Amino acid sequence: MNGLIRQLSDIVNNYGLPQDFVVQASFYVLAGLACVFAFGVVAMRNIFHCAVSLALCLFCIAGVYLFLNAEFLAVVQVIIYVGAIVTLFLFAIMLTANIKDRSIRQANSQALISAVVTAAILSFFIYIIMGNPWKIPASGAAAPAGPGLNDIGRALMSSYALPFEFISLILLAALVGAIVIGKVKK
Amino acid sequence: MIPQSHFLVLGAALFAIGLYGALTRRTAIGILMSIELILNAANINLITFNKFLGGPDGLGQVFALFVMAIAAASAVIGLVLVIAVYRNMKTIFTENMNIMKW
Repeated sequence: MNGLIRQLSDIVNNYGLPQDFVVQASFYVLAGLACVFAFGVVAMRNIFHCAVSLALCLFCIAGVYLFLNAEFLAVVQVIIYVGAIVTLFLFAIMLTANIKDRSIRQANSQALISAVVTAAILSFFIYIIMGNPWKIPASGAAAPAGPGLNDIGRALMSSYALPFEFISLILLAALVGAIVIGKVKK
Repeated sequence: MIPQSHFLVLGAALFAIGLYGALTRRTAIGILMSIELILNAANINLITFNKFLGGPDGLGQVFALFVMAIAAASAVIGLVLVIAVYRNMKTIFTENMNIMKW
């Protein structure tokens, strides 16, 4: 249990609600909302609404990160995904698609078989996950604190310096490539 | 204490929804949004295993950061390609983008 969630549940505790119940309930509500919005991304007809639904879904996933001792990643998720990538999607939609037209079909003719195959894959995953005896932390033992911002920064600059540099190269290549491809040829 | 399997099921559900979207969407932008969902499912799994199995220095969270950077780069390139194709062919539907097919 990390700091932010702990503080939140302490506040709730003052009002007489059981702490574990509130933490668990908020996780399941966030997870359910994330799935609902994710389904909106793939199922809604208006592509603009899909992008807004994607933003809400990513926001809920950032909330889920808080339950995993990853406060830094939650903030990064909101900044990069909701702030940058979804905005990029919205601009691309407004530059290309005719968003007013609700009559165009959004799914191709393989929708039914895709749904069947995807449901089969999902049930297989759930069967595997639920059947596996995961290591249960001893109840009562304090949950190990996740890596803080210090640890992540130190790891990026020491153990994982090479992947970090590769990521910078990839981002530079994406930047240059986007300018070259998107340039209007005279 | 929320068990590890529930986080993994959430990741699997997001992956399945994203896979369905990538298979069925007709517009390239819709496919790109579904791929973002799949990458987020991978991120949830990385961070979950980092928390429950424990890494020495947060390996899972560091790689989740890398996945986010890759997702940003792929979204940029994909959307620029979509805009370039739209400028040349006046279509956003993937079944019409077939000039490289013989």
